[in-house]
Amino acid sequence: MINIQDIRDTARDMLAKGEVRTVIGYRRGSRGMPAEPAFITSPEQADELIWDPTCYHNLSLYLVHDQKILAHLRKASGSPIAIVAKGCDARSIVVLLQEHYFKREDVYIIGVSCEGTGVLDERKLASQLNGVQPTLAAFDGDDYVFTTAEGEKRLPAREVMADRCLECRIPFPKEHNVVFGEDKTGRQLAEPFAALTRFEAQGTGERWDIWSHHFDRCMRCFACRSVCPMCYCDECVVDSITFPVTQQTSAAEKADRVRWIERSAMRSENITYLLTRAMHLAGRCTDCGECERACPVNIPIRMLNNKMEREAREKFGYEPGASIGGSSLVASFLDNDPGDFIR
Amino acid sequence: MEKILDKKRIDDWIAALNDWEVHAPALEDGIWTYKPVSGAARLDHPNTRQSPKGFTFPQREVYFSFEQIKGEPPKLTQILPKETRHVVFGVRPCDGKGVPRMDKVFTDHVEDTYYTTRRKNVAYVGLACNKPPSATCFCLSVGGSPVSTDGLDVQLTDLGDRYFVKAVTETGKALMKAAGSLLTEPAAADQKQVKQVHTEAVAYPQRKINDPDGAPAKLKVSFNSPLWDEMARACIGCGICTFLCPTCHCFDINDEVHSKAPLQGQRVRTWDNCQFPDFTMHSSGHNPRENTGARLRQRVNHKFQYFHENFGMHQCTGCGRCVSECPVGIDIVAVVNKVTENVG
Repeated sequence: MINIQDIRDTARDMLAKGEVRTVIGYRRGSRGMPAEPAFITSPEQADELIWDPTCYHNLSLYLVHDQKILAHLRKASGSPIAIVAKGCDARSIVVLLQEHYFKREDVYIIGVSCEGTGVLDERKLASQLNGVQPTLAAFDGDDYVFTTAEGEKRLPAREVMADRCLECRIPFPKEHNVVFGEDKTGRQLAEPFAALTRFEAQGTGERWDIWSHHFDRCMRCFACRSVCPMCYCDECVVDSITFPVTQQTSAAEKADRVRWIERSAMRSENITYLLTRAMHLAGRCTDCGECERACPVNIPIRMLNNKMEREAREKFGYEPGASIGGSSLVASFLDNDPGDFIR
Repeated sequence: MEKILDKKRIDDWIAALNDWEVHAPALEDGIWTYKPVSGAARLDHPNTRQSPKGFTFPQREVYFSFEQIKGEPPKLTQILPKETRHVVFGVRPCDGKGVPRMDKVFTDHVEDTYYTTRRKNVAYVGLACNKPPSATCFCLSVGGSPVSTDGLDVQLTDLGDRYFVKAVTETGKALMKAAGSLLTEPAAADQKQVKQVHTEAVAYPQRKINDPDGAPAKLKVSFNSPLWDEMARACIGCGICTFLCPTCHCFDINDEVHSKAPLQGQRVRTWDNCQFPDFTMHSSGHNPRENTGARLRQRVNHKFQYFHENFGMHQCTGCGRCVSECPVGIDIVAVVNKVTENVG
């Protein structure tokens, strides 16, 4: 069982000693639950930190933001940033380190184990609570406990837990500077890729119909891209300008720019966007599930990334974010890599 | 005109509106979405995930098609929206309030033909909120009300097994007349009950913007406040808040080329979004809203200062979508309160 006071003490201590410039963690949201990202810069703020089933966010995104801001200001990073990281979040940090986005000494990982549970899926919760809106959520063993206007509600965590947590193979941040909570790797709440396997049991025609329906619904708010720590490209194919414009950029370069994807949210463009993103995440996605959680129209985006993740695992034995020293999937070649898909 | 409709007969009323294409909220993929009505219409939704603004301001609007054969002058053909009449059932009062705000933007200084063509062909049958449908509602803070009829043509109030049906506009009266004998005269008890329901609706506690009247002036002096960067620290720069908003109306215009030879394509207007990093990017590469803090300020000030200066009302209608759907908990109520309290 994680004692939040341990995380707070670590944060307070490091900030007081000046060992880190910021601690990125979770604090209470303005409406109670869900939690929201917290950026703690003074020891007195350490008590704001919380740990509950609504700490969904993959905070490694903000390590990427930090690097972008530093690059923009042409500043060196100075002292490291401490970050609260779950298993999947820590694996994202490992991928970013493999890709040399920042250095290991730039980040101090405060690992938290998801132990026997994981984070909440608010959509599952809503269907269980029947209109009652909870204001707080807490871990309690294998249960979640919710505070509502009608009193306390207790639910077995696995009934309302996010699919990605049910299917998680390594709910423990192996890469860390300090870690809290027990390592329960090996707990099996659901088969890995269970949701994907269920989906793929359907015929090709049915699957195409379902995906066409979802591709038509995408609003292209880009929440899935924006929330993803792996979507850090300065030049994204979906943006109106896909290269950095400076005062030296000529009018012709700007006028003749390649537009890979039109601005219109329509099936052809949405497919190009969502599938390009899925391909670019192959061997990099650590299944933190933030893309799917953020989607305002409930497109099952995670399934696209899961498909790539399973291919990487089955064909190449590749596990994204397993170790900093390991090479990345698409940048490595082994003699025994399968070649039967090249025709 | 005030009438009573037996709830079980709402589908008969919809069927009687045969000159109209009728839309109502449907639960699909776990969210409520306006869909053309086929079969029974249910009006037991909290609010729809997307606002109804797309009926007058769709995410993609074609302005005209263009075509040019080499050596010949270009040929442009304007494409106006179809003159199909739509009636939208179940519009909540906050979204109703959005309608006159969008009207201001698209008709006040310049009349936008695309908007007005759609606008004159759409009618809204609203549904009063007997109690706030979401924990993020704050209509009372922005001059709205759970029983407001602004922007609506008809207002329905749920009285258990029947609706109290009130005409707001002439179009609304026509919609009610089409129902014929399905609508009956309200009894004195119905009148009493609707009054009671409305009184209770307004009394339900909601989240609160503490000084909405002082907000325009206080935001104006807070333009350079360090609070913006602080409050936008977690912002991921996605478009959820503005795309779901019933009054956000920024757009982009692009030429979509479908064929190079002969040159053929369309000029289209699509929703734009002040939270996107390239929103105000200049051709020089300079961006006057260059970080998340400046972009959060743009969104909040547009709602609570700029729009107010231009039209004398807050643009925000308190629906709470940007609050409940933000993936990182950015909360416009908390933001406005924090900035205005900082001014004192």
